[in-house]
Amino acid sequence: MRSLLVRIFLSFWLIIAITIGFAALGGYYYSEQIRQAIENYEVSDTVIAASTALDTKGRPGLESWLKDLPSKYPVTVFIIDQNGIDLLRRHVPPRIARILRRFAQHHLSGSGHRREPRNLRPARPLTQLVGPNEEVYTLFVVPKRSAYGEWLNEQTKPLMLLFALLVSASVSYALARAITRPVHKFRQATVAIAEGHLGTRVADSMGKRRDEIGLLARDFDSMADKLQRASEQQVELTRNISHELRSPLARLRVALELARRQAGDLPEFTRIETEAERLDNLIGQILSYSRLEARDQEAPAPINLAELIQDVVENVRFECRSDGIEDVTVQFDPTEEPIIQGFAGALGSAIENVLRNAVHYSPSGGAVTVQLRQSSNQATITVEDQGSGIPDDELENIFEPFYRTRGAVAAAATHGTGLGLAIAKRAVRKNSGTIQADLTSHGGLRIEIRLPI
Amino acid sequence: MTHDVIVMMNDANRAASILIVDDDQELGEMLTDFLAPDHLELTACLSGEDGLKALEAGNYELLILDIMLPGISGLEVLKRLRQKSDIPVIMLTARGDDIDRIIGLEFGADDYLAKPFNPRELAARIKAILRRASTGSRRSGRLELGAITLDPRTHRVTVDDKPLRLTGTEFEILRCLLETAGEVVSKDQLNERALGRRLLPFDRSIDTHISNLRGKLEQAGTVNASIQNQRGIGYMLIPGQ
Repeated sequence: MRSLLVRIFLSFWLIIAITIGFAALGGYYYSEQIRQAIENYEVSDTVIAASTALDTKGRPGLESWLKDLPSKYPVTVFIIDQNGIDLLRRHVPPRIARILRRFAQHHLSGSGHRREPRNLRPARPLTQLVGPNEEVYTLFVVPKRSAYGEWLNEQTKPLMLLFALLVSASVSYALARAITRPVHKFRQATVAIAEGHLGTRVADSMGKRRDEIGLLARDFDSMADKLQRASEQQVELTRNISHELRSPLARLRVALELARRQAGDLPEFTRIETEAERLDNLIGQILSYSRLEARDQEAPAPINLAELIQDVVENVRFECRSDGIEDVTVQFDPTEEPIIQGFAGALGSAIENVLRNAVHYSPSGGAVTVQLRQSSNQATITVEDQGSGIPDDELENIFEPFYRTRGAVAAAATHGTGLGLAIAKRAVRKNSGTIQADLTSHGGLRIEIRLPI
Repeated sequence: MTHDVIVMMNDANRAASILIVDDDQELGEMLTDFLAPDHLELTACLSGEDGLKALEAGNYELLILDIMLPGISGLEVLKRLRQKSDIPVIMLTARGDDIDRIIGLEFGADDYLAKPFNPRELAARIKAILRRASTGSRRSGRLELGAITLDPRTHRVTVDDKPLRLTGTEFEILRCLLETAGEVVSKDQLNERALGRRLLPFDRSIDTHISNLRGKLEQAGTVNASIQNQRGIGYMLIPGQ
């Protein structure tokens, strides 16, 4: 009962089935009442009145009595003569004709069946009057709406029921679908927006509905519009801020060199230079972080992961040497060469940031191990370091922007910008992959990137 | 030979005139002050249009071009400039704007610096490119491989006797590869020779220049020589068939 479709479908069907059941039951009681009424008529004043009319005035008396019968009676009285003709020459309903034929031998001719014992008087389900000339008139009392009887005919009843069930089932199903299909579309759109496809809209796929669902679709779209605008504005703003911050920084660096030339190389100048570089790095990271969220026109292309990682590893080794981190080694010996579809730039920066993070938190003389594995549907990149890891409960948080682990607070001032792993996460997500952190058996940090092939 | 040496010494003392196109006026002024002691005479233009006019009017040896310009962009300036001039260009890009950098190099920029840059680095790059341009004529001797002919003195390259137009950096790379045809030249070596500087981490300028050069050679119809990439080592020019 988890699906809305099934729930709505079954509810409607149940309601319709119950309604059909009650209607059938009501109909049965109604026909039962009529049957009783008919039975009552057989012994009632009507029969006595008919018999009196016949006795006193003969056949014409019976005819005129029948003609004068009030029309508001809930029943129609047929009086059939020996020739099977109604006194008022009305058309005899087939059902009555059938009964007449069946009992003709017994009652209309008066002679019994050959095999029947002499002293047996067969049951007479028919009311009959005997006229002055020994002629026999048979009385039939039928409900006025005799069609009803035909309708509930014994043979057609199961068929009718089946038909009713099928019709109600298909109507219920169509109704349930009509409600749940747009819900399904809304769900797809919501998921797409959550995944960052802010251009997703639903109103077009709903046709020209003017009902509540159509209105909801339009509201949904205007919400998506606002989200998209806000996101674009944010990206634009971040870009502008980054560029505007860089102009004074560029002037600062030239001014610093001019000052150095005039005042000589003071240690404070070196400090200013370092801080300016750090600020520039931070701006660069913020820029690439915000850019990863922006939709670009770039199409995914095939990437040879082993080559990409090899490239990044070489560059990080190079960077280590120029940063004076000589004694940390980066190991990467690919045995497989998975090819994936994706954005090489983003993926490269993800691996680069993870690797740089691992190198920075490695102890002196430590090794960072990069592995690349391939299974049928995904490629897995793991980066393990021999650092002191991070507390278990913080593993989830290290991909948050500017998150500092408790142990890293002291080191924060010297390494990174606090955005490296956040950039990695966004870049991996852009490549439809996942990234997660756990601890190695030696307590170091292991970051695992999974990418669909 | 002696003549060449005298020319070089003269070059070192003569002020080289350089044009900078950047909308940051104050930066231009400070850079003018900073570069003056190195005999680098800087003229500043604030927009791409002004820059193109100044280049047509004056005689500059090098252009420093900011990519983020109001009006026509730096990339557009570069594109228009390259239709008629081979003047060395150093472009200034925003750090992280890889696309700008790659397109810039494809459009024929010789080198790039991410802004904000260390001005000493800028001075070093300017000098490296100017030195390359002046020492270029020193090494004589025509180089040939298949249909490709390179004459260092006239700074001309021909393919099947038809002239091939290359930027200064592409010319230097091709010369380096021709000199050692059949041998692998490391990216670091190529960088030093063509750009006058060490290779930096995540620096793909040389790869972009090589891919441009490859494209131009293919377009000129060189079927009998190709530049091959030796992954992780460098590049090699091999004679075909």
